[in-house]
Amino acid sequence: MSFLFGNRASKTFKPKKNIPEGTHQYDLMKHAAATLGSGNLRLAVMLPEGEDLNEWVAVNTVDFFNQINMLYGTITEFCTPETCPIMSAGPKYEYHWADGQAVKKPIKCSAPKYIDYLMTWVQDQLDDETLFPSKIGVPFPKNFLSCAKTILKRLFRVYAHIYHQHFSEVVQLGEEAHLNTSFKHFIFFVQVSDVEPLAEE
Amino acid sequence: QSRESVIVKNYSPQAYKFYMEQHVENLMKIYQQRVERRRQLEKEMDKVGLSEEAQCEIRRLLQQKESNYMRLKRAKMDKSMFKKL
Ligand SMILES: [Zn+2]
Repeated sequence: MSFLFGNRASKTFKPKKNIPEGTHQYDLMKHAAATLGSGNLRLAVMLPEGEDLNEWVAVNTVDFFNQINMLYGTITEFCTPETCPIMSAGPKYEYHWADGQAVKKPIKCSAPKYIDYLMTWVQDQLDDETLFPSKIGVPFPKNFLSCAKTILKRLFRVYAHIYHQHFSEVVQLGEEAHLNTSFKHFIFFVQVSDVEPLAEE
Repeated sequence: QSRESVIVKNYSPQAYKFYMEQHVENLMKIYQQRVERRRQLEKEMDKVGLSEEAQCEIRRLLQQKESNYMRLKRAKMDKSMFKKL
């Protein structure tokens, strides 16, 4: 799990107060675990026996991108530059956008702008045939897992923003169980995969 | 109010909820079917009485098929899913 808590030296992730990092993620996880009892989903995210970890991480990363994109798409009218002038997850965490390649200097922007940058960046990664080969027999690059880790870490921020800033709207739309399921699925997956090679920096 | 982004689009909560319900059901089905294919294979191999070496090779082939299937699914998921909804 540790990779979700952000690179300690990162300029894009700013804990505002001197509290242990990862606290809000921890609360979110506890919440997700409490709201959904079913352990079956855990089986579905475990690396199948003999399966290539890259292949497994790739298919799940695409899946989470789709889930999160759709989820965020249901609350776009509530997430505007006016309601969310900065990308945050509660009062303690604020994110500035940088992708480390095209955008090196972190940009301070509204949440919708940030999420647009983020999702566009993820889509570009997923479309990159050298990173996510779609043809049978084409191998994954050596740095695949570390790239996937970065993608998952960034996608996590969208969940965090929705939980912290838009949960009442999610409830209003009657989709909180679906959000919780999606998030729990994500956490299971990350835990299961992180125990193994994803934990290596 | 439409958004300029090509990636982030508006979705109806109904579509999202329907998708998630189907999706979770599907994930469980995919998992169970995969376990079942493996079980079936072991059963068949037992009946025939293959050498350990041959068994390993056949398991490897099933594994390869499962991997390829996942890759095709990912390619499809990635490209077409948003146009359909
Ligand atoms: Zn927002």
